[in-house]
Amino acid sequence: MRTSPTPVRRALAAAAGAALAVGLFTACGSDGDTGGDADTAEDFDFSCPERTDELTEDLIDTEANESQPFVFGTPGDPTSLDPILASDGETFRVNRQVFDTLLDADCTDTVPGLAESFEQNPEGTEWTFHLREGVTFHDGTALDGAAVCKNFDRWANFKGGFQSPNFTYYYSAVFGGFAENDPAMGIETESIFEGCTADGLDVTISISQYTSSFPGAFTLESLSIISPASIDAVADVTIPAADSPLPEYTQTVGTLAGTGPYMLEDWNHSEQEVTLTRFDDYWGEPAKVKTLIFKTISDETARRQALEAGDIHGYDLAAPADAQALLDAGFQVPIRGVFNLLYLAYTQSHAPLENHAVREALSYAIDRQRIVDSVLPAGGMVATQFIPPSLEGYSEDVPTYDYDTEKAKDMLAEAGAEDLTLTFCYPTDVTRPYMPAPKDIFDIIASDLEAAGVTVEARPITWVEYIPTTRSGECPLYLLGWTGDFADPYNFLGTWFAAPSTEWGFDNQEVFDSIAAANTEPDAEARVDLWKTANEAVMAELPGLPISSSPPSIAFAPNVYPPDVSPLTREDFSQVSFTTGS
Amino acid sequence: MLRYTVKRLLQLSVALLGLSLLLFAWFKALPGGPENQLLPENATDQQREALRAALGLDEPIWVQYADFLGRAVRLDFGSSLSSGRPVATELADRLPATIELSLAAMLIAVGLGIPLGYLAAKRRGTWLDFTAVSGSLLGTCIPIFFLAAMLKVVFAQELGWLPTTFRLSAGADYTDVTGLRVLDGLITGEFDIAWDAVKHLILPAIALSSIPLAVIVRITRASVLDVVGEDYVRTADAKGLKPSVIRGRHVMRNAMLPIATIIGLLLGSLFAGAVLTESVFSFGGIGSFVYQATTERDYPALMGFILVIAVFYVVINLLVDLSYGLLDPRVRVRS
Repeated sequence: MRTSPTPVRRALAAAAGAALAVGLFTACGSDGDTGGDADTAEDFDFSCPERTDELTEDLIDTEANESQPFVFGTPGDPTSLDPILASDGETFRVNRQVFDTLLDADCTDTVPGLAESFEQNPEGTEWTFHLREGVTFHDGTALDGAAVCKNFDRWANFKGGFQSPNFTYYYSAVFGGFAENDPAMGIETESIFEGCTADGLDVTISISQYTSSFPGAFTLESLSIISPASIDAVADVTIPAADSPLPEYTQTVGTLAGTGPYMLEDWNHSEQEVTLTRFDDYWGEPAKVKTLIFKTISDETARRQALEAGDIHGYDLAAPADAQALLDAGFQVPIRGVFNLLYLAYTQSHAPLENHAVREALSYAIDRQRIVDSVLPAGGMVATQFIPPSLEGYSEDVPTYDYDTEKAKDMLAEAGAEDLTLTFCYPTDVTRPYMPAPKDIFDIIASDLEAAGVTVEARPITWVEYIPTTRSGECPLYLLGWTGDFADPYNFLGTWFAAPSTEWGFDNQEVFDSIAAANTEPDAEARVDLWKTANEAVMAELPGLPISSSPPSIAFAPNVYPPDVSPLTREDFSQVSFTTGS
Repeated sequence: MLRYTVKRLLQLSVALLGLSLLLFAWFKALPGGPENQLLPENATDQQREALRAALGLDEPIWVQYADFLGRAVRLDFGSSLSSGRPVATELADRLPATIELSLAAMLIAVGLGIPLGYLAAKRRGTWLDFTAVSGSLLGTCIPIFFLAAMLKVVFAQELGWLPTTFRLSAGADYTDVTGLRVLDGLITGEFDIAWDAVKHLILPAIALSSIPLAVIVRITRASVLDVVGEDYVRTADAKGLKPSVIRGRHVMRNAMLPIATIIGLLLGSLFAGAVLTESVFSFGGIGSFVYQATTERDYPALMGFILVIAVFYVVINLLVDLSYGLLDPRVRVRS
């Protein structure tokens, strides 16, 4: 297990950040970065537990690897074999095995992908990548800078329905817009992409304005690189409108070629099954299992039963309550690092939540450790701020609110809010990776608040209604959260606290300015400090109570060597092997 | 007969138009919209609004309905918002699974229900009657999802006799002809595939058949009891006709009218039961897709699927009505 004490981890993160700025990658990852032992759980950083098992040659069941498909149960179907047209985790999971990105993520650290190294100019507006030698696409063409530029130019010049957020959400989220925004697609912000130039294996991407999304955004699966021949093959494809179907080439194999360890072999829609086969000329370590199948089992219990019956060899999003039973039965439930955040929002447009003392009192009233211990999967932790601990800018100096019912009662009395009644919203028909059982979490918080003398009025809401309702500021208290896309604090803080909003109902210019300052600071070292300041400003405002960060559970059969599990759920299935002896 | 059929088909068109209007109004009245499911929760309000505008969801409702209707008459239901695939393609992929499951369930229900109901009636008051009646009561009482889960735990997990999920084993290499896996395996001579499909079909089909089986047993029993008391049966018996002739020509043929009606109605209701059964067994039919489409406010998928199910339902009932003529000459004479 990765057990580095927090301060050491912080120092390494800062050092890695500084190294990245000059284009040097540290040997970070799931098997490096050991920082010594810690005495208590509180001393640990759960961002990426280090695995203790090792796949030795004698453990590899070569015969099974060659003859037997590895079947992984997924909660949902993928949507598109063209990575740029996807924004959901299930599509990312499949495409990640087939396509590569310029940079990759190991744990939450940015590491080499197709680019061995990179550098940025001081303004953060030019990003030069040095590509690996000897990388070939599945169609046999070699990777070079021109191939990369062809991808970026294709995306920037998308027209019509290709620009709709339900197809290219991440591209427009990172680059603002397109070369020519189509008015019918509703995107009004200008693109910050300025161009891409190639020189052999070097490629430079220019943007007009730095944001802290870079370089993390280059790890996004949506920005995976496909072969130039693939781009030529789909050059004439159009998506007329936002509600048009996805083009046929995104639904059938055979058109797009990537550089990943697996090639697409078949997508059987009626059997909800995607079959991949090993790419023998992969630039990295070749996949151990020859055939990999992702099969959809939408029901959580059905996934567990299929694993127990041997119908599949692994599945994702195991219910936290199932983890111990699976372990007891000999299955493997490796613990991912945490990269999400669950919070309780205090909407300040509802009196007396605009009173800081009342928000503080409510924060003292809630026993977050009980939520972590009883509802969340192993590896969960109480959150002290609105980003997970693995991100740059995590501050040790934010105000904290340890559980203390008496203190909460006293503070409410002092604030004149003894007979407080609050409506508390929670979603009914959904589990999110950061919130596996919304009703259970609601029950614990509600009982804690009641113990402090607050009358709680429950308001359960269906998920499709939940986001607009909470956004509109209707709910004084509500539960929500976020799982990060890539290593960027703005991905958390920016979307919540960059400007006044009805969902939080506060107007604190110091908070907004601190986030803007960090987001636009191109110097990595300086940015770390600015994010710390921003986190401290947010927690001084106390717009809500960060509750927890927790890892979504993943499970595997006993006779399997699982991949390194990832806080970003970026598992690389080429590491998987069937094993002998169990 | 032709005039009657045409009249019924015209009624069907009016019914579908009314249904589509009702569904459309109902879906639009539901709170929340698909943009909340299609975009991540930290998408900005501006991004959500952009998507609503791009999808035409900010248009007045009558404009949206006219657009839907204009396309629907050309059998173009648009594309599913969550999968991005044409609804017609999703139907083609999903419907065969539900049809296969429903047919298998109905085969069990009819194949067991009618003989059991007949025997219960013939041996009224015996232990067989008592068992059939109380068994059918139990069948209607047990929730399908509970029965499905129990069957799965016992026969798939604990005993390991049958698979827990899917229509075929993962990675099975089969030839698709009709989409019905058992039939396809038999047609193409891929008997291992047909057998694999049968093994995957048994538990969900049993679970789904529980309610229709119970209903058919009860209706058959009641109907046979009615008929055996009729004068013509007593007369046939007095004439010294063979019991098999009395059973086939006089009792069952007359008793079949209400049974045929109920089978038609049950076939329609099987689609509802399929939602739960398919979910438990990850059977991949339309049931699970409609459930997902409902929670995600995937309007085009919902409209397309429900209208197609409605057509199925009405057509099945039309066929049942037409079959009366075959079962009972008096209906033919009157028409």
